Amino acid sequence: MENSKKGKEKTAGYMYYAARIGVLLSVVMMFFPGLNPAKICDYINKNMSLFTSGISYSGLVKQCTRAFNQGWIQESSFVLLFISSMVVCIGIAAGAVMGCMSLGNLKMKKVGNWFGIGGAIAQIAGLGGIYLAYSQVAQTTKPDKVIPNFPLSNWLFFLVLAAVILAVSVLVQVLLPRPAKESKFEMESKFKLFLMFLPFAALCFVFSYLPLYGWRYAFFDYTSGGTLSKDNFVGFQYFTMLFQNAATRSDIVRVLRNTLAMSALGIATSWLPMAFAIFLSEVKSTRMKRFVQTFATIPNFISWVLVYAIALAIFSSDGFISSMMVNTGAWSEGKNMLMSSSHHWLKMLAWGTWKGIGWSAIIYIAGISGIDQQLYEAATVDGAGRFQKMWHITLPGLIPTYMVMLLMAVAGILSNGMDQYMVFDNPNNTNINMVLDLYVYKLGIMNGAIPLSTMIGMVKSVISVVLLFGANTISKLVRGESIV
Amino acid sequence: MAKTAQEKLDAKAEKQYYKTHKRSYKLTTGDIVFNILNYGFFLIFTLSCIFPFYYLFINTISSNDLVSRGMINFIPRGLNLDNYVNLVKSNEIGQAFFVSIGRTLLGTALMVMASAFVGYLVTKQQMWHRKFWYRFLVITMYFNAGTIPWYLNMSMLGLTNNFMAYIIPGIVAPYNIILVKTYIESIPAELEESAFMDGAGYWTIFRRIIWPLSMPILATIAIFGAVGHWNSFTDSLILMQNAPELYTLQHRLYLYLTTSSNIGALMNGGVSSSAAEGIMQTALNAKVIKYTVSMVSIIPILLVYPFMQRYFVKGIMLGAVKG
Repeated sequence: MENSKKGKEKTAGYMYYAARIGVLLSVVMMFFPGLNPAKICDYINKNMSLFTSGISYSGLVKQCTRAFNQGWIQESSFVLLFISSMVVCIGIAAGAVMGCMSLGNLKMKKVGNWFGIGGAIAQIAGLGGIYLAYSQVAQTTKPDKVIPNFPLSNWLFFLVLAAVILAVSVLVQVLLPRPAKESKFEMESKFKLFLMFLPFAALCFVFSYLPLYGWRYAFFDYTSGGTLSKDNFVGFQYFTMLFQNAATRSDIVRVLRNTLAMSALGIATSWLPMAFAIFLSEVKSTRMKRFVQTFATIPNFISWVLVYAIALAIFSSDGFISSMMVNTGAWSEGKNMLMSSSHHWLKMLAWGTWKGIGWSAIIYIAGISGIDQQLYEAATVDGAGRFQKMWHITLPGLIPTYMVMLLMAVAGILSNGMDQYMVFDNPNNTNINMVLDLYVYKLGIMNGAIPLSTMIGMVKSVISVVLLFGANTISKLVRGESIV
Repeated sequence: MAKTAQEKLDAKAEKQYYKTHKRSYKLTTGDIVFNILNYGFFLIFTLSCIFPFYYLFINTISSNDLVSRGMINFIPRGLNLDNYVNLVKSNEIGQAFFVSIGRTLLGTALMVMASAFVGYLVTKQQMWHRKFWYRFLVITMYFNAGTIPWYLNMSMLGLTNNFMAYIIPGIVAPYNIILVKTYIESIPAELEESAFMDGAGYWTIFRRIIWPLSMPILATIAIFGAVGHWNSFTDSLILMQNAPELYTLQHRLYLYLTTSSNIGALMNGGVSSSAAEGIMQTALNAKVIKYTVSMVSIIPILLVYPFMQRYFVKGIMLGAVKG
């Protein structure tokens, strides 16, 4: 008796896996426009997922106004479609509840199964409603305008998932014994914690992992608004294009030159914040120190757009410098110094340094306050001067922090960020200003060259990850500590 | 606070010590030169961080006639607030301002709550496959798919031309979760255990114990998150292409700045067509409009700035602790 009970519970456990996978799939698929079973004719936006079809009637009928007015399709079939989609969504939600409750104790499972049964029936009914709405729409007098098209595979997909959930719920409900009357809803804390965590993991998945799925665009000859299919699959054509197409290659070389030059300049001057901190610590007046620390960090907190606004206010033809020069008679008219492209890299570096140095120095300032004061006292007794103390005590105390920063900078060598270069971009300097991030943006978003820009972004991501792990390995070897 | 007798004695002894050892504290010529150079550098650098804001500000509150002639360089003259009043009348800016404020408040609030809760959950060893899930979150800091796949993903999810695109992707912020987690781990475990003994569940413990005790770190991430929201403009640029009413203030400012500067020199009254049509009839010049919009974008940052400062070191130092 006891044995068969255990066995039944085990079987139920296995069956639950199938149901949970079904629930998970249907929940995820609900949000994919490409898998919308409710897209029964051309009037439904191809960006509508089942979820949006089920919550927004106005979105569903957005393009239908004319068809309704002309009587090509009945509004009632769209109402039916909307309600059916909503019922399917509710059914999926109930299924999700069942999936969660299946992790609980016997009582929870038993109640959860009712959710599963109800939800699955609702899903099947809703899918039936969608089919009904389709058959009504298919009666249209103007099939060439309406283009009724039943998404059979999507529809079947949801139907199969609903059937799986229904079957499991019913079977498990039969298999599992009745719970004791006085038993309460309980769940093991490990699952309780996991279920609380799950929504956030889902968000993280959707916004950080799902974009990786977009890498597939790099292998298709895709234009905005088009579709991906076997016909436009091109394999690694865009990858080889990076090297073989002369125009693309010269673009890439130019962009890489700018990117690497800016990163190299950044790395070559990455010790500046440390020097800033060390010299600031030599300022003995606390007031002065606080004054500097307070105001030198402000630029870090304004956006690059605002930095550009400031650049205009100071350096443009009617900005501060020009008006000073004109007022004193040194210049006959204002000059717009931002339009010139001479020393552009150095200017960009200077802006970056101005914006970031006060902020980056903070970590070193904190580091300096952590250095043992006795070291300085001992050095003073031994007759060390100011610079000797800076060189032999302060600097070595900060080097470990600096190494971490340096390695991170090396790992991020291809990522200069786009904001700075975007705002300072103008026709005169665009040739030496275009860095990789900006190039990808211009290529993909402005020019619509999605496959090529995706390919570039993909190669960049891979190289960046490799660099990061390389830097991490070096750090492990040299410092015995990892940086990531 | 009254000093004790002992402290007074100590202070006296200290003074005496300095008096007798005065010579060793005397500055050498080298010291003086160093100090002058050092103070001078920091003074100049700090002024370079303050002056631009001051310059923008005095130009927005001075007489526009003097401003356009480049006469306002150090001292404001002809004080008035007309520019700001006119700006308020402009629909475009008002809308952008509300979008920015809205995303900052809502986005930050949700991000902080989520970070606190997730940060708490991942400290719980009992969680089902905790290690895996924690890594699942953290690893996303080290790769990204790239701008275009991100954009395609957002548009697939219906998050283009949609205000929620500013909010939802930012809710789970792995870096902030790490900060909160590290902080919560430093809270004595006994507090939680005793509450657990009293029958409190995870949610109650989180709300009654963890949340109030982690206020310092939550304030830190709130402030940095808010500044990030306020400053971000690339998401507005990329995702809101067909919804100008959802542009953020930074995006608007960017458009004002570049539409004229790409044309060439900014001249009096040379307001380009798209920029601030509502203000045009008041005959302000492009320069003043730009300055005023810039000021409007800077002011919220400067307002919270004094409160932020105490969290700087904490924020950046905790960042060094990975885990």
